[in-house]
Amino acid sequence: MSTNSRDTVLNVLRGRAERGDHIPNFSGMGSITLHGIQELGYRFNEIHGDGRKMADAAASTYRQFGFESAIVPFDMGVVAESLGAGMKYYEKADLGQIIYPTMTRKLVDRATVTVPDGLSEADAKTFIMKEIENQITNYQLQMPEDISRTGRIPVVLEAIRILKREVGNEVAIGSWTLGPFTELGQVMDLEVLLKMSAKKPDVVNRHLKFMVDYLDKVLHLYIEAGADFVTVREMGATASIMSPRMFKSLVLPNLQDLFGRLQGVPRVLHICGDTNPIIEMMAQSGADALSVDQMNRLGETRAKLGNVVLLGNYKPFGAPFCDGTPEEVEALVKQAIDEGADGVWPGCDIWPQVPVENMKAMMAAMKKYGVKD
Amino acid sequence: MTTAEQQADILERLKNGVIEYDEESVVKASNEALAIEMDAYKAVMDGLAAGMDVVGGYFAKGEYFVPEVLMCADALYGGLNILRPHIKLDADKMVKGSVVIGTVEGDIHDIGKNLVKMMFEVAGFTVHDLGRDVPLDNFVEKYMETDADIICMSAMMTTTMIGMPVVIEKVRAKNPNARIMIGGAPINEDIAQKWGADGTGKDAPNALQEALNMIGVLRDLGDQFKSERKAKEWGEDGLLDAAKT
Repeated sequence: MSTNSRDTVLNVLRGRAERGDHIPNFSGMGSITLHGIQELGYRFNEIHGDGRKMADAAASTYRQFGFESAIVPFDMGVVAESLGAGMKYYEKADLGQIIYPTMTRKLVDRATVTVPDGLSEADAKTFIMKEIENQITNYQLQMPEDISRTGRIPVVLEAIRILKREVGNEVAIGSWTLGPFTELGQVMDLEVLLKMSAKKPDVVNRHLKFMVDYLDKVLHLYIEAGADFVTVREMGATASIMSPRMFKSLVLPNLQDLFGRLQGVPRVLHICGDTNPIIEMMAQSGADALSVDQMNRLGETRAKLGNVVLLGNYKPFGAPFCDGTPEEVEALVKQAIDEGADGVWPGCDIWPQVPVENMKAMMAAMKKYGVKD
Repeated sequence: MTTAEQQADILERLKNGVIEYDEESVVKASNEALAIEMDAYKAVMDGLAAGMDVVGGYFAKGEYFVPEVLMCADALYGGLNILRPHIKLDADKMVKGSVVIGTVEGDIHDIGKNLVKMMFEVAGFTVHDLGRDVPLDNFVEKYMETDADIICMSAMMTTTMIGMPVVIEKVRAKNPNARIMIGGAPINEDIAQKWGADGTGKDAPNALQEALNMIGVLRDLGDQFKSERKAKEWGEDGLLDAAKT
C-alpha cells in the first residue's frame, strides 16, 4: 500500500495501484478555484505571469480541499507565446471576473495578411484565405535559442520548482502542454489549418514535426524542474472536430513520436469531446494513461480497452458541478468510479467559480466510494 | 432543355457543389443561374442552402467533420458572392432583420461564429460582425447603436463562456425584450435558460452543429419577426415596405 497521496497518484498513473490504495481525485489540467485565489489575495490575471503566485494558486486546491495534485500552468498560451504569438492578460478585468490569457496575434493569421486596396468584401475574404494558406505553406517555425528563458516558460519552471520544494513530498506535481496539432492551431489560423489538413496534409505534417521537437524540449524542462507527471492535451484532434481517419494519419504518428521521447515520468494523453471512435487509437499513442471527458462512454471504453489506465470523466463546469447540490456532485464521483475510472479526474480545467461546498462534497465522496478492498 | 429543366439542373449542381465542396462547380453554376436570369434568391435558398442542409446532416451523422464542413462553406460562399448582389427585395419569403454577432472576450475561436454568420447572410440578414475576443461592452454598444433584432454570442471554451451572462444582463437592462442567442461548444439549453438567453441550437453537440441547424431556426425567427413587427416598418404581411415597391 502506498504511503501517501503522491505515491498513490503516481502508482495509479503507472498502472501499478497497490492493494489498499485509494482511488485518487486529481487532475493534470488547470484546477484552481476562485476561492483559493482570493484567500491568497491574488487577482486572477496576475497568477499567470509570476512564478510565486502561480505556485501558490496551484497549491491552494490541494491545501484547501485535499485535491491530490498541483498543476501549472493555467492558460493555453504559454507555448504559443514562447514561439512568438502575442498575448493578452486582461489586466483590466473586474475582480472576480475570470478571463484566461489568450493570443491576440498568431504567427500566421488574418492579421499577417495585407489586403490590396480596392477589393470588395467578398474578394478580400477570398484573398485573405488564399494568402494565409500560402503563408502556412512557406512558414518556417523557429526554435527559440534558450527555451528556458523564453516567454513565460521560466515562470512555469519557477512555479514547478517552488511547488516541488514546498509541497512536493505530499502531493503530485503536474504540468502540461497542448498536443502538436492543437498547439499548431494556437500559432496558425485554425480554420485554414483544418482545411489544409484535408487538402495539403504534407504541409501540416511538416509543422507538426516541428511541434513534436519543440514540445519534447519544453516538457523535458518541466520534468527537469520537478514535474512528477505530464499531460498532453490534444483536444483539437477530437472526433468532434476531425475524422478518425485524419486522426490516424496525421495526429497519432506525431503523438507516438512525442510520447516515445518523453521518458522517466508518467505521461497522460487528454482529448475532450467525442473520443469514443478514437479511444483505441489513443491507447496506441504510447501514453501511460488516457484522460477523457463526459462525452466518453467510460464503461464501454473500459470493456474495449481492458487494463489501460483511464482517468475521468466528470464535467468540471456548468451543471451540476458548479451550480448543483453537494449530493449531485457526490453522484458525479460515484458514476465515474462505477464506470471504471482509475482516477476521478475532470474532463477539462476546473471552472474556478465552483462553490466551496461542491469541492468539499467531491473530496468527501472519495472517502465513501474511493476506497478499494 | 426547357427553362424549368435548366433551373432544376442548376439548383442540383449548386447543391451538389456545396456538398462535394467543389467551389469551381458552384461558381460555374451560379454564373449560369445569372445568365438565364434565374431568381437569385431561389438559387441561394434551394441550391446553396439546401446543400448546406445536407452537409449538416452528414456532420450530425459523423460522415463529415469540421474540415469538410469548412470546405463546403467555402464552396457556398463562392456561389453566394456571385448571387447575392442580384437578390431582389421582392420575394415574399425574404427575411429582413439585423444581427450583432461576435465571439466573447477571451475567446479567439470563431469557426462556429463564422458559420452562424454565414447562415444569417444566406437568410438575408444584415450582419454586424464584431469579430473575436470582443469586450463585453462592445456587444451592448453595437446593439444599441444598430437597433439590431438579435444579439448572437459565441464561446468555444468553458473558460470564456462566463462572459455571456454579463452581456445578457446589460442588454436586458436596456431592452428587456432583446432577442439573444448564445452558442458554442460548452453551451446547452440549460445554460441558455439559466442565463436568460432566448435560445441556443437544439440537440447540438457542438457549435458547428448548432450553426448548421440555424437554417431551420432562422426560418422560424423570420416568421416571428413578421408577426411582431407588423406595426413597425414591416407591412401587414411582415415584409419591409421597401420590399413591396
